[in-house]
Amino acid sequence: MADTGGDNGPGKKAADKMFSLKKWNAVAMWSWDVECDTCAICRVQVMDACLRCQAENKQEDCVVVWGECNHSFHNCCMSLWVKQNNRCPLCQQEWVVQRIGK
Amino acid sequence: MITLSKKLKQAKEGKPVEIAHSPDKRASIRDKLLVKEVQEMESNLPPTCKVTFDDPDKLHQFNITIAPDEGFWHGGTFDFDVDVPEDYNILPPRVQCNTRIWHPNIAENGDICLSLLRETSLDATGWSPTRTLKDVVWGLNALFYELCDFDDPLNLEAAEHWLRDKESFQEKVTSYIERYAKR
Repeated sequence: MADTGGDNGPGKKAADKMFSLKKWNAVAMWSWDVECDTCAICRVQVMDACLRCQAENKQEDCVVVWGECNHSFHNCCMSLWVKQNNRCPLCQQEWVVQRIGK
Repeated sequence: MITLSKKLKQAKEGKPVEIAHSPDKRASIRDKLLVKEVQEMESNLPPTCKVTFDDPDKLHQFNITIAPDEGFWHGGTFDFDVDVPEDYNILPPRVQCNTRIWHPNIAENGDICLSLLRETSLDATGWSPTRTLKDVVWGLNALFYELCDFDDPLNLEAAEHWLRDKESFQEKVTSYIERYAKR
């Protein structure tokens, strides 16, 4: 810095540019855009097959169901539960299916 | 070694190539859930509760003893049997009280009135698969404290007794403890 002290020419310009960006690695985090990512009934991630389907080797058929309340479960877990009580086990609202899929 | 030619030969001879697991020998969903839940329950017990397993291989049958440290039932030790049905956690555990007791929410034959154990319930307080064994133990324990409910009794006589004469109610509770709930 001292050598640029009395110089108003190109030296000053070089001092302004102390760093230059050589490499930049962007890191992004992601997660599923659902309110709850673990099935509260069998306690396995909703994107994985439920305990029952894992045991019966039916991983491919295991889909996710979303309710109007925005809570999600495995469709097979939920279909067993609604026979017992037609409420969302998490918020206790009446269970209305919004969407079924993966 | 498994080779394709052997497999083809087996298939031609009509032998089953791979024997599927028989469903009855597979650990049930209940048992898989219980492995985690029993652990969670045992590491979060209320200080007044003890859990014992008669058969360590049967996680679905166990015993809870509760020795309340204050309140009407202080000084007694009350024994409960828990039986977790095959369809757990769609169905709640079944709980019976083995100790004769004078309590508004526990009948003298051992039936228990605790909302979270109710199979079907019109409101939100009944059983739900989000609940675990830990909640059941804490719920039972609370029957001796804040969940003791004289307004919604199972043993109507006991509740009316308390309403009529609290001192005499306590005397009867204590005499039951002396007779049935001492360890």
